[in-house]
Amino acid sequence: MVILAQLAASGIAVGAIYAAIAFGYQLTFATSKTLNFGQGEALMLGALVGLSLVGWTGYWLMLPCVLVFGAAQGAVVERLGIRPAIRARSEAGWIMSTIALGIIFRNMAENIWGRDDLKFPSPLSEAPLVFSGVRMLPMELLVVAGALLMMVAIELFNRYSIYGKAIVATANDRDAAGLMGIDTSRVITLSYALSSMTAAFAGVLVAPVTLTGATMGAVLGLKAFAVAIIGGLNSGIGAIVGGLILGIAETTTGYYLATGYKDVPGLVLLLLVLSFKPAGLFGKTAIRKV
Amino acid sequence: MKRLVVSTIILAALAAATPTRAADPVKIGLSGPFTGGSSSMGVSMRDGVKLAVDEVNRAGGVLGRPIALIERDDQAQNEVGVQIAQELVNKEKVVATLGFINTGVALSAQRFYEDAEIPVINNVATGSAITKQFLPPDYDNNYIFRTSANDTIQASMIVDEAIDHRHFQKVAIMADSTNYGQLGRQDLEAALARKGMKPVAIEKFNIKDVDMTAQLLRAQQAGADAILTYGIGPELAQIANGMSKLGYKVPLVGSWTLSMSSFIDNAGPNGEGARMPETFIQEPTTPKRKAFIEAYQKAYAIDRMPSPVSAAQGYDSVLLLVAAIKQAGSTDGKKIREALESLKDPVDGVITTYHTPFSATNHEAITPELVVFGEVRGGRVGFAYEQDRKAAETASN
Repeated sequence: MVILAQLAASGIAVGAIYAAIAFGYQLTFATSKTLNFGQGEALMLGALVGLSLVGWTGYWLMLPCVLVFGAAQGAVVERLGIRPAIRARSEAGWIMSTIALGIIFRNMAENIWGRDDLKFPSPLSEAPLVFSGVRMLPMELLVVAGALLMMVAIELFNRYSIYGKAIVATANDRDAAGLMGIDTSRVITLSYALSSMTAAFAGVLVAPVTLTGATMGAVLGLKAFAVAIIGGLNSGIGAIVGGLILGIAETTTGYYLATGYKDVPGLVLLLLVLSFKPAGLFGKTAIRKV
Repeated sequence: MKRLVVSTIILAALAAATPTRAADPVKIGLSGPFTGGSSSMGVSMRDGVKLAVDEVNRAGGVLGRPIALIERDDQAQNEVGVQIAQELVNKEKVVATLGFINTGVALSAQRFYEDAEIPVINNVATGSAITKQFLPPDYDNNYIFRTSANDTIQASMIVDEAIDHRHFQKVAIMADSTNYGQLGRQDLEAALARKGMKPVAIEKFNIKDVDMTAQLLRAQQAGADAILTYGIGPELAQIANGMSKLGYKVPLVGSWTLSMSSFIDNAGPNGEGARMPETFIQEPTTPKRKAFIEAYQKAYAIDRMPSPVSAAQGYDSVLLLVAAIKQAGSTDGKKIREALESLKDPVDGVITTYHTPFSATNHEAITPELVVFGEVRGGRVGFAYEQDRKAAETASN
């Protein structure tokens, strides 16, 4: 029983990381129907910028700086990769351009921060906490709490601020929002800024638990993409549930079946969801009139 | 018409004259990962190779010609390694290639050199199969050589250390899912079987895995009192950190990758005491080693070498190749291979002084006696056993 609880606890910690990144995919998909395939790289840049700053500012003061950096980075991605594709009405141009930008960011990071994985100093004690036999690092709890807090903050922003309402309006119907006087291209820029901001925040949050380096984002970004598809690209709850399902599935399969099959259930689930509920477990099926 | 004939003759004469210029460099290929997770090994290897090439060129080169390195980043990816091999063989026309950090890349890229009869010296990759890919009688000659301690040597040393020296009863194996990890796991299992033992758990993990809970819990539940590893630095660090999180403190003994800076730095105090077989430890035990370490530190402005083993093996691979070209008196691949297999003069390397290290049937320069155990202590790798240090000080001089 303790073992199962321990597996679940570790799965939740990993799942929260996936969920935080998957959430970033959803933000841009809602407004522009495009995704930033460089989401993992946005996370990596956030973590590395945070690592450079943390020596000067300490962990907590570094957070707002990284948020600002992440927002700026997202806006750059939107300007360079998304806007030209949307203007040209290109169906898939943004896929290539965001992947290309991701590679450019990764190579830049390798030149600036080197190629090795680096240690990110943990702001909390690295001694594990023990809850009746289940061990968790304080940092893992912070990851879970931080990811949830971030999603709640974005949700509140969307509901109660004027900019957030513009985002929701654009997400519902971009053309109608444009006719109502909303500058939808600025809204899309804003959603990219928000998306990369969440990724950068997720980066500094997970960096003390994972390792920090130019290649840290590749696998995490890919798994988070699977989570976004499983949960549904337009459901915040979906990202959380999808993340937890994938995280717990990985640890429990690893333990009860074999560690070599750890990644299989997540992919099987992805296939099942795509064949039976393509919009995702919590996604709303959009009816598209042609 | 006459003018055309004259100019054609002049052009032809020029074309014929160019390749026989005296200072035409000897092109040597260099393939390794200079980006990504195994790049600390790749870059150290490259830096060691460059150091040796500079020394050779300053002393007048080889056969009166300077050496030109053609460096290519194989990104630790098998398919990129194959492309590079084709480029180096067909376009650059190298006389030999040094390198390969990753067993998978070596196994998939070497075929092109074998077919073109161009020698390859593996200076870091350790997979046991690497030098056995093209053995006679299936192939006329084997063009693949090595200056690193192969996994058969490493695995049996790891098992000797764990079972004979430290008397562990139940060991678990943790290996990554790459060619390197899985071939190493087979070697470990074989070495255990020779002692009539079986691992209590065999666990697998992927590159970039961030959570090792499942693997470690399985080892813990099986009652393992030591963990034998075959992986690379970042994931090994995750294992050490995961063990500390789960309060599961048993010794780590594993392949030489436990000496990677990415393991030592990221595991921090959790990595202390990990032991691994090493061909070279950054301690100035002989004048040659002292000179090498100081030259390296000066050339690259660092104190701790990121991967001392890779640098030393890279350095020695150049010296062996140059000695062979000199002895062959030619840059013909066939003649270089024959010279490598019968080196007459001793080659004074960093790891040891090589006396005819290769033969027609043996393409491994490193024998078990040249390998010692290293231990992570205070964020550096030192000699695990004091007598090894003493032996290193007296042996090669």
